[in-house]
Amino acid sequence: MFLAIHAKEIHKTFQSGCWKKRKKAALQGIDLQVRQGEIFGILGPNGAGKTTLLSILSTLLLPDRGEIHILGLDSIREGHRIREMINLSSGNANFLWSLKVEEVLHFFGMLYGLSGKERKARVESLIQMFELGEHREVSFDRLSTGMKQRLSLAKSLMNDPALLLLDEPTVGLDPNVSIHIRNQIQMLQRSRGMTILLTTHNMKEAEFLCDRIAFLKEGRIQALGTAQSLKKMIRIGDLIKIQYRGEVMEESLLRFEGVINYSISDGLCEIMVDDAEKRVGSLIAQLVRDGTHIQNVNVEQTNLEDVFVQFSKEVDSDPSFCV
Amino acid sequence: MFNFQKRLIQIQAFAFKNWVITKRNVFSLSEILFWPLIGLFSVGLLSVFLGLDQQMTGFVLIGIISMSLIQVCQIDVAYALLYDLWSKSMKHTFIAPIYPYQLISGAWLIGMGRSFVVFVLLSLISQIAFGFNVYQPGIFFSFLHLVGLFFISLMIGIGVCILVLLFGYKAEVAAWSITSLMALVCGLYYPVTILPSSVQTLARVLPLTYFLESYRSFYGFGGERISLLGKGFGLIALYLALEAPLLKWVIGHARRKGTFMKLSE
Repeated sequence: MFLAIHAKEIHKTFQSGCWKKRKKAALQGIDLQVRQGEIFGILGPNGAGKTTLLSILSTLLLPDRGEIHILGLDSIREGHRIREMINLSSGNANFLWSLKVEEVLHFFGMLYGLSGKERKARVESLIQMFELGEHREVSFDRLSTGMKQRLSLAKSLMNDPALLLLDEPTVGLDPNVSIHIRNQIQMLQRSRGMTILLTTHNMKEAEFLCDRIAFLKEGRIQALGTAQSLKKMIRIGDLIKIQYRGEVMEESLLRFEGVINYSISDGLCEIMVDDAEKRVGSLIAQLVRDGTHIQNVNVEQTNLEDVFVQFSKEVDSDPSFCV
Repeated sequence: MFNFQKRLIQIQAFAFKNWVITKRNVFSLSEILFWPLIGLFSVGLLSVFLGLDQQMTGFVLIGIISMSLIQVCQIDVAYALLYDLWSKSMKHTFIAPIYPYQLISGAWLIGMGRSFVVFVLLSLISQIAFGFNVYQPGIFFSFLHLVGLFFISLMIGIGVCILVLLFGYKAEVAAWSITSLMALVCGLYYPVTILPSSVQTLARVLPLTYFLESYRSFYGFGGERISLLGKGFGLIALYLALEAPLLKWVIGHARRKGTFMKLSE
C-alpha cells in the first residue's frame, strides 16, 4: 500500500531565552505512517506537539532528526516538489485583510502557477463548492469566522493537493457551520481520494471523520488506531443501566460473557460490558429468563472523549499502543 | 516553456498582491503623493529661504528626489514580507512552491512602477516650482540613474526581508530607518567630504554615494561620472550577490526555527 506520509524517529526541540538555555522537546521520536486516501486524525492535549508535527509534515518546519517521506519524496531534500502537491488549511485562518474573497483565491492560484483560464475556472469551482458566491466581493477582514474558514479550505484546494493538512479546521465555528465543513472534508476524501491529515480537539469530529487516529502527548504518540480499536484498547467499557422490579441474579451476571463489572442497588442495575451493542440484547434476554422485570434500559457507550481523557492521564511507563 | 511560464505567473502573484493593496490603501497612496511632495517642498522652500543659487538648489533637490524614489521602491520590496507579517499569513505564502527571487521580483516590479510615478511627479514639480530640470543629464544618464536607484531599493528591500525573517516584528522598523541612515551617510543634502573620515569610509562602500555624485556631476559638481556609475553598479552587484544566498539561507533558517509558524500566530 502506498504511504502518503512515512515518518521515522522525528525529533524537534525548540530553544529560547538567553543563550538558548531553555529547551522544550516538542517531538520525541515520532513514527507515523499514513496511507494514501485515508483521513488520519491527530489528537492530543494543548502543547502535545500536534501543530509542530503538522508544520513539519507541511515542510514549514524542519525536524532536528528523523526521516520523512511525503508522497514518496524526501521532505528535507525535495521540499519544493512536495509543496507543489500538498496544501494546508488552519483554524483561525488569516489572509491579507484587504483582498476580496475572489482575489485571495486568485492570488494563491498564481502562487501555484495556474495560468489565467485554468485559474479562473478553479476559482469559480471553489467558490461554488464552498458557497462563497455571495461574498466574492467582500474583503477578508469583513468576513465572518465561518466564511474565513470556508475560504481557507477553498484556498487549500487551489492546487488540487494529493495531501491536505488541516489544523483544527472547525475551531471556533458554530455547530451548523462545523457540520457543513466536516461534510465537505468527507466529500473531498470520497470524491477525490485525497489523503487528509487533521488535528482537532473535537472528539466527535475525529470519530466522525477519521479512519485512524493517533493520540499525541508530550511529543510522543501514545496510541494509534481506529476509533473503535482505541476504545477497546483502554478497556473503559460501555455502561448498560437497567431499571427493574424484582430481583437480578448476580450469578448470571458473573457468568455472562463480556461483563467487566456491575453494581446493583434499589431497582437500578449498572453493568459495565466490553461492547454494549454486541451484549445488550442477550443480556436483557438472560435477565428476563431469570425473572427480572425490566422497566427501562439505557446504554452509555464509551466515546472518544473518554479515551482522550484516559490517554491524557496515562503515565509514561509504557507509552505506546498501536492497533 | 511551461515551467518558465509558471514561474512568471508566480512572480505575477506578488506583483498582484502589492498592486491590489496599493490601490485600496489610502496610506500607500500617501506614500506616493503626500510624503514625497512634503519632502520636495520643504527642501525646495528652504533653499529659496537660504538664497541658494540654481546649482546648489539642484544639489539638494537631486538628493530629495533620489531619496523619495528609493523610499517608495524599497518599501514595496519589503512589503513582500511585511504584508504577510502584519496579516499573519506568512505560512500560507511559504507553504506554496515559490522561490525567494519570485517573492522579491514581483514586489519590486510594483515598487519600480510606483517610484517611477514619484520620479515623474517630483521632476515636474521641481521644474515648475523651483526651475530645476532633473533631465539635464539627458535621457540615457537619467535612465541609468533611475536603474541604479531601483537596484539600490531592491538591495535595501531584500535587507529588510532578511531582518524580518531573522527578528520578526522587531525588525519592521528597518523598513523606514535604513533609508534614513543611508541618507545621512551618503550625502543627500551635502557632499560626503564634509563627513568625518570614518563615516566617509562607510559612505564609500554604499552605492548611493556614487549615484548621487555621478548625477550631480552634470550640474557642475565635478567627478568622473562613468567611473562613479561603474563603482555604484559594481557595489550593487556585489551586495546583491551576497544577499541572494543570504536570503536563501535565512528562509532555510526560518524553516528550522519555526519562524513561519510563529509569525502566523
